[in-house]
Amino acid sequence: MQTLNISDVDFAEPGNMSCPGCGASIAMNLALKALGQDTILVIPACCWAIIAGPYPMSSLKVPILHTAFPSAAVTASGVRAGLDMKGDTKTTVVAWAGDGGSFDIGIQSLSGAAERNDDIIFVCYDNEAYMNTGVQRSSSTPYGSRTTTTPGQGWKKTRKKNMIEIMAAHGVSYAATANIAYPEDLIRKFKKARELKGGTRFIHVYATCTTGWGAPSEYAVKIARLATRCNLFPLYEVEDGITYTLNEKGDTPVDAYLNLQGRFKHLSLEDKAGIQNQVDKDFAVLKNKLSVC
Amino acid sequence: MESQAMIKDKPTFQGLTNNVSLYISKSHASSRINKTGSWRFARPVYENKTAPCSASCPAGNYIPKVVMHLSKENIHGAFRALIQENPFPATCGRVCFHTCESACNRGSQDQAVAFRCLERYIGDMAITENFPLDAKSLAAGNAGNIKVAILGAGPAGLSAAFFLTRLGFSCEIFESTDKAGGVMQWGIPSHRLPKSVLDHEIQRIVNMGIKIHYNHSLDAEFMTTAHHSFGAMFISPGLSVPLTMGIEGESHIHQGLQLLMDIQTKDMPLKQGRVAVIGGGNTAIDVARSLKRLGADPVIVYRRRKQDMPAFAQEIVDTEKEGIEIIELKSPVAVQKIDKGFILNLVSMAPVTEKGNDGRTRVMPVDNTPETMIFSEIYSGIGATLHDSWKADADAPESAIKLDHVDFHLKDIPFLYGGDCVNDVQSVTHAIASGKEAAIALSAYVDSGIDSVKKTVDICRLGAGKALSMEIYLQGERRLNSDHVVTDTEINLDYFTSTPRIEPGHIPLKTSVTSFKEVEKTFTREAAMAEALRCYQCGFCNECENCRIFCPEISITRQNGKKMIDLDYCKGCGVCSVECPRNAITMEEEK
Amino acid sequence: MKHVIEGSHAISEAVKLARVDVVSGYPITPQTHIIEAISEYCANGEMKAKFIPVESEHSAMAAVVGAASTGVRTFTATSSHGLALMHEMLHWAAGARLPIVLGEVNRALGPGWNIWMDQSDSLAQRDTGWIQLYCENGQEAMDTTLFAFRLAELVNLPVMVVIDAFFVSHTFEPVAIPEQEHVDDFLPPYEPRIALDPDNPFALFQMAPPNVYMEMRQSIHRAMEHTLDIYHEVENEFDAVFHRRYGMIEEINCENADIILVTTGSATSTARQVQMDMEKQGERFGILKIKTFRPFPGKAICNALQKAKKVAVLDRNFSFGSGGIFAQEVKGALQVLSQGPVVFNYIAGLGGRDITPDIISEVYLKTRDRDLPPCGSEWLGTSPRDEN
Ligand SMILES: Cc1ncc(C[n+]2csc(CCOP(=O)(O)OP(=O)(O)O)c2C)c(N)n1
Ligand code: SF4
Ligand code: SF4
Ligand SMILES: [Mg+2]
Repeated sequence: MQTLNISDVDFAEPGNMSCPGCGASIAMNLALKALGQDTILVIPACCWAIIAGPYPMSSLKVPILHTAFPSAAVTASGVRAGLDMKGDTKTTVVAWAGDGGSFDIGIQSLSGAAERNDDIIFVCYDNEAYMNTGVQRSSSTPYGSRTTTTPGQGWKKTRKKNMIEIMAAHGVSYAATANIAYPEDLIRKFKKARELKGGTRFIHVYATCTTGWGAPSEYAVKIARLATRCNLFPLYEVEDGITYTLNEKGDTPVDAYLNLQGRFKHLSLEDKAGIQNQVDKDFAVLKNKLSVC
Repeated sequence: MESQAMIKDKPTFQGLTNNVSLYISKSHASSRINKTGSWRFARPVYENKTAPCSASCPAGNYIPKVVMHLSKENIHGAFRALIQENPFPATCGRVCFHTCESACNRGSQDQAVAFRCLERYIGDMAITENFPLDAKSLAAGNAGNIKVAILGAGPAGLSAAFFLTRLGFSCEIFESTDKAGGVMQWGIPSHRLPKSVLDHEIQRIVNMGIKIHYNHSLDAEFMTTAHHSFGAMFISPGLSVPLTMGIEGESHIHQGLQLLMDIQTKDMPLKQGRVAVIGGGNTAIDVARSLKRLGADPVIVYRRRKQDMPAFAQEIVDTEKEGIEIIELKSPVAVQKIDKGFILNLVSMAPVTEKGNDGRTRVMPVDNTPETMIFSEIYSGIGATLHDSWKADADAPESAIKLDHVDFHLKDIPFLYGGDCVNDVQSVTHAIASGKEAAIALSAYVDSGIDSVKKTVDICRLGAGKALSMEIYLQGERRLNSDHVVTDTEINLDYFTSTPRIEPGHIPLKTSVTSFKEVEKTFTREAAMAEALRCYQCGFCNECENCRIFCPEISITRQNGKKMIDLDYCKGCGVCSVECPRNAITMEEEK
Repeated sequence: MKHVIEGSHAISEAVKLARVDVVSGYPITPQTHIIEAISEYCANGEMKAKFIPVESEHSAMAAVVGAASTGVRTFTATSSHGLALMHEMLHWAAGARLPIVLGEVNRALGPGWNIWMDQSDSLAQRDTGWIQLYCENGQEAMDTTLFAFRLAELVNLPVMVVIDAFFVSHTFEPVAIPEQEHVDDFLPPYEPRIALDPDNPFALFQMAPPNVYMEMRQSIHRAMEHTLDIYHEVENEFDAVFHRRYGMIEEINCENADIILVTTGSATSTARQVQMDMEKQGERFGILKIKTFRPFPGKAICNALQKAKKVAVLDRNFSFGSGGIFAQEVKGALQVLSQGPVVFNYIAGLGGRDITPDIISEVYLKTRDRDLPPCGSEWLGTSPRDEN
């Protein structure tokens, strides 16, 4: 086994309000290692609005601007504009939103910022539901999942929105997926995004929520890793909406992933086979787009 | 761009601004004020456990630690960790039958880690780089300089000297031949163990300040007088008397052990024709392979099945590769001399369902009409036994303490018997185990009396098995490890992708069967590192830092080089314990 | 020097003169001209500001919230549905205590799409914590915008500068555009009390638990009260430079009036004419123009109205199920008087309907000729249509 080489300089602090085993916390800790001190974070309503600390405390060593749920991207655009006017070129402005704040209520503002190519990094930490409000479905909730608004036999029968493709279609200079279970890859992507100043960069980070997914907290990273290994959440980068690079190739059947989580436990063998089928198709589509393999 | 915000030289209307109330939600404290540790139901505890390889290594090698250093390209560190427990790494790295590898958890994922070869690599590097036995590598005890007489300079005696010296005893070795090394010296052919390697490792021990008296007869007189000048005796005479088969014409059969010895000490005899070697153990193999190198066409004749042969499996494979036939299920019943050689009469055997006392499959003659084979020579390679002169001494008095690798007889001074004469399995590594056990037992006795011997030995066990650790005895960090032997299911395989085992390979067959050149090659540096990376390092924190990297609470930090879990904040999620690839973190329920 | 410009552009000019750093904008009639002009200033370099052409009004406000949080001067403008869409962020801006200035052109809300004058949009935002300043004409719009930045930055509250759809926004009037140096004298560079800075990190506008939230709300309230206290002084400063002032309220002949008409915005101009005519006819008619709706200058209003016998509040807005919004507020202000004037409430001019001199006269006469108002508010000029 090759050991991971990850800096021990942290810009996050202990004592935050996340649930035990919070993937979103891990995501932030790692991302900030790449982003560094000269970062301003914009956080809309989401779990991170709480994790970052209620008054008077902050769990991060970088400035945070909390904003309303729909507005992460454009608030960041505003911050960027303000900094530009002050002549501050060193600070990176990062919008940090949940899947709800990116895929759903936040998509308008995100799309607007991306189309204007505002000089921000938009991070969607994806826990595949509205977790802060108690596990309601979002358009990121995957097919087959139970949430409190897709309960019982009403489990979600529609697919997860393909957010990175939406962002790639904006032609942004950099759109990438990342995963808390792949810290070196994640950090590399955040560094790359930080370097690519001048336009909108989008990073979609897979961030387990064991609380919402009905899994033991200790499996937070394991489940995330399986998501990529099963090709449910492939790790790849898209530059300028054109150049696709795949970072990891998965070969594990989706069962390994599904079976660890309560939100999928009602699924029949056929349901799971259907998911496998869909994943395989999606991955084939992705592979067709690869320019670099 | 000039901006409004940058223009600073205009007048301001201070008076108006002073007293506006501005209480907003703006942080002014770190979340460290929020001691999330109180949420916890279980706490992570760093707890190194016992690796199955270590527990099954008779010498108790601290394999995960050795490999950890190696994988970080710290070969000297690896050597230091190795020499703590085993004075003969380069030797064991060649001749040990590596129970560690059979126990290796990696075996259930793909193939066991080739630790024996790694051990050899480290041992060889120690020789070429001339790594010293520095103070760092060998924690020393203090036994008040008690003098110990060691009888026999075989692996047991030399190991006893090595460990005892480290514990502060002063050792003198009495050896009946003119060379140290015992069976390693005269019993193992140099295509398996080059003498230069062995001599270097022996010299390293001798250099610790050990006196060896060569050609010293170890007769009854010596035994009765010696103990007046010594505080203790360690007796490891080895098995020097070949076993006999009790068959007709046995006098025509040469002793394989003698051949091996002759090869070492005399001019090499040239051999030719078909030669039979009787036996299925390592001696038979060594004899057959030596005969091959001397020009003969040897055949191994064994009374049980091939899979029952006590010789090391790899040796059997290699032997056959060299073109040596193994005839199984044939038992010799008589030898007759004829003109051009000897007739060996053999009866066919077949396995029966019931097992023998030793748990092995028994064989019985199928029919009693022997078949005959003609050989130019016949060698016996069925093993050896203790010389009669030792038998009485080795017989235990009532007060004797029977340890796993040592019999401890307390007469006027302690007499400790070890090595082949005591061990169930006669191997170099078991002999090392005897030396270590003797040192621990004697030291415990000197410190705290006879009653403490067993208890002390028990404390030094790895995973409650037979293997002992000198580091534990010396109060090293290894004593903190739990006895739990890590199983394959406790390894996080997410971190280990299947990769085939790497082995150093052999020299070309043509060269090997025509000379006594060492058959097995040693690892290149790259190969050694790559193979080291295959090792899970079960139960041993190798500072991979996964726990720190993944802890969502930033509660794992490094202080003064040591990892610390900040229980003020750790929420007890358990991520660290799962993401530890090797089960070095245990979750304990909060009380 | 006076220029004939439309009211929208008076605001745009003021924004330019105020050396605003960041402007966001999203088109909606009748506001569009404001941001069009500003984007042009930015494009041609007349204005050194960053113009963000956002994709919605919600984002327009969010963008300036973001920008203002870095400590720069910000502006945006909207109207009607745009303001309604902004609602969430209006709360955010005020709770964040950011001195954002918003140009708001009063317009009706649909359905029944209607782009014309109506105050319901801005008045629906009265509880968001914004200062609201209503303007009567282009000059006032210009001056109020400059004034708004100064005020906002002094009290750390956002300010809405409100003008009437078309009657002000699209009406060309001679407007004195001040010299840049005079503006600079009045409006010093913004020295933010709050600014994000990686060298001095903190979290802004984070979750406020019950043990502090109320005090934070109270702080907004205090700042509003403080605004009432210093308003006059800030006007003094303004007056010193520009020789104009408007007051939180303007009293026209209130001293001698039995009946005082309460107006806002451009309807006041019409009322001024009628009042003059009436006064000539010997009527004891006064006008109270309310410019500052938030904070509500209740005491000043009470003082101005207390001697009158009757008060007629003309509301160009309506709170359904209740009544005209200004009337409610005025009644509330008069509560402190033991024997205050009787308050009549008239609703007129919704959705762009003209408030003509006739309507003003009608208001006056209806008030004069009755001792007591009918229950509730009276809708003027409506015909009994009820087609469905
Ligand atoms: C306009 C608005 N609607 C609804 C909410 C309530 N709300 C707060 S957080 C949240 C869900 C956030 O989900 P997501 O963005 O996925 O982040 P998560 O909490 O899962 O981390 C919702 C619905 C809100 N704050 N604002
Ligand atoms: S995760 Fe790595 S550093 Fe942490 S305890 Fe396990 S082996 Fe040691
Ligand atoms: S990962 Fe961190 S918070 Fe979780 S149990 Fe381990 S030390 Fe505690
Ligand atoms: Mg979510």
